[in-house]
Amino acid sequence: MIFRRKNKVYTDPELMQQIVCGDQSAFGELYHRYKDRMYYYFYRMLGNSGELANDFLQELFMKLIEKPESYNPSFAFHTWFYSVANNMCKNEYRKRGVRQEYYETEKLEPQIEFLPESTIEPEQAIEKIFQALEQLGEEHRSAFLLRYREGFSIKEVAEILELPEGTVKSRLFYAKRILAEKLEYLKDEIEF
Amino acid sequence: MKKKNSDQLFSQLLSNDSVGQPNKAIEDRLMYSFMLKNGSSKLRQNSFAGFFGWMFSFQGLGFKTGMISLVLFFSVINNNLSYESTKVAGCDSTFINKVLVADSAHFIQSVDSIRKDSLN
Repeated sequence: MIFRRKNKVYTDPELMQQIVCGDQSAFGELYHRYKDRMYYYFYRMLGNSGELANDFLQELFMKLIEKPESYNPSFAFHTWFYSVANNMCKNEYRKRGVRQEYYETEKLEPQIEFLPESTIEPEQAIEKIFQALEQLGEEHRSAFLLRYREGFSIKEVAEILELPEGTVKSRLFYAKRILAEKLEYLKDEIEF
Repeated sequence: MKKKNSDQLFSQLLSNDSVGQPNKAIEDRLMYSFMLKNGSSKLRQNSFAGFFGWMFSFQGLGFKTGMISLVLFFSVINNNLSYESTKVAGCDSTFINKVLVADSAHFIQSVDSIRKDSLN
């Protein structure tokens, strides 16, 4: 017991400093800390594709390996890391050319099957939510995911997306309103 | 029925959502890449190749000339400062300047005898 190694828990910026110095175990620690969260983010942002999510996850961490010094320790690591991930998603959307404007979305026919409240399961509800968010575009989806999945504050979401806080709030409000419209059963369960 | 706050409801729904795990091969590939990158940087740190490359290149000629001049200057100054008049400073094929040092009784006696002989 006396000789047992004391495992110190390092903060993300401390791990980044060690990574800059070439510490592989620090990189492994950081990878395990963020791999599932980033995988989920990419999966949901890139059309529920596991293959794409894996590719983007690898690319994201490769950026960290290639230029760890690009992180400024005076900022929070998680917001910086998510902003890098979000920029990768934006670039992917630009490549695909599938960016949709708000008014275009309005014209789309809803492709969601409305299910009665008694039969809907949480998994089904999630799928319906993401089907609805798919129609809204990546701007709304990213704000929605960062706020409700990752639990970031409005200020942090604004930092990650490089937007004013007011814009983030309006995007979240709009996304929730659309979801409530499309998922009828939610109307009775929630208040805005 | 009491209505839930929309934020709470969406947070609850999304926090329970699972989409699986990333491919395990990614970690191996990343670790390998990290090792490669780190290995190459260490090699660079311990290598003198960069320095020698710079030394024998045409970069920084003024600086290099200045440094060499300084080294030569100080080596000459140092040599002159340590000059001792009792030692042979140099010789060539036509002239040898031998400086004799009177450092022994036998030597002094032999010099005296030479002097007496010349007087006589």
